[in-house]
Amino acid sequence: MTQYFLCFVLFCVGLYGMLAKRNLVKIILGLVVAEAAVNLLFVLVAYRTGAFAPIVEAGGGPTRMVDPLPHALVLTAIVIGLATTALMIAIAMRIYAHYGTYDIEEVRELKG
Amino acid sequence: MEKSEKPPLERREEAGMTVVVKTVTRLTVGLIFLYGWYIVVHGHLTPGGGFVGGIILALSFVHLTLAFGRDAAEATLPARVTGLVEGLGALLFVGIALLGFLGGVFFRNFLPKGEPFALFSAGIVPPANIAICLKVGAGLFSVFLALVFFRFDWERRK
Repeated sequence: MTQYFLCFVLFCVGLYGMLAKRNLVKIILGLVVAEAAVNLLFVLVAYRTGAFAPIVEAGGGPTRMVDPLPHALVLTAIVIGLATTALMIAIAMRIYAHYGTYDIEEVRELKG
Repeated sequence: MEKSEKPPLERREEAGMTVVVKTVTRLTVGLIFLYGWYIVVHGHLTPGGGFVGGIILALSFVHLTLAFGRDAAEATLPARVTGLVEGLGALLFVGIALLGFLGGVFFRNFLPKGEPFALFSAGIVPPANIAICLKVGAGLFSVFLALVFFRFDWERRK
């Protein structure tokens, strides 16, 4: 149970970064941390005590593997996370090029 | 928006980080590159595979770019070559899948399966891993390059 709680704490760290910080880069980092916490939760759900990686090895059969389905899910989530992170960074760079600041308090004009 | 504070002109020999970072990079980047290929080639035997190995390969080039600056990155692996490799990976993967029609089904294993747990085994899985590695590695590195080569207005004007 402890590991799930720590995972939740990690998610809350990311959420705090997204909500409380005013720097765009820190907001993006907060989102990345929250994303990592969710991926970690999936991997934790898949874990089984004493099991091996989900690959057919010489000794182990399918009964001694961790659950491979969340791993595949997390792989997809990582790819999408990469794409969204790159998009967010590109938008942040455009905002910096336009306003000269990363502070979201100063980015107020909607036109111009 | 004030434009008075322009960043200093980037001189070619001073591009990148300090000499410590450059030396360590020169020593480690080959090892990272080889480790990426190891992960890719053993993808059907150990945890890892084309995706993870491709990420490691791309990270070795990212490492190079961060240490030596964007001019060195363009000299090592131009953005055009990255795009070509990415397309090649995608075509290779689709080609492997389409070759399965030789046996009648999409993605059918048309190569000999070989001995289990040997390096050359598992039919089409290692070639597919290599195709995925090219696609993912070149894709990730081109995303990075697109962000690195982004020029702000005051950089373009100088």
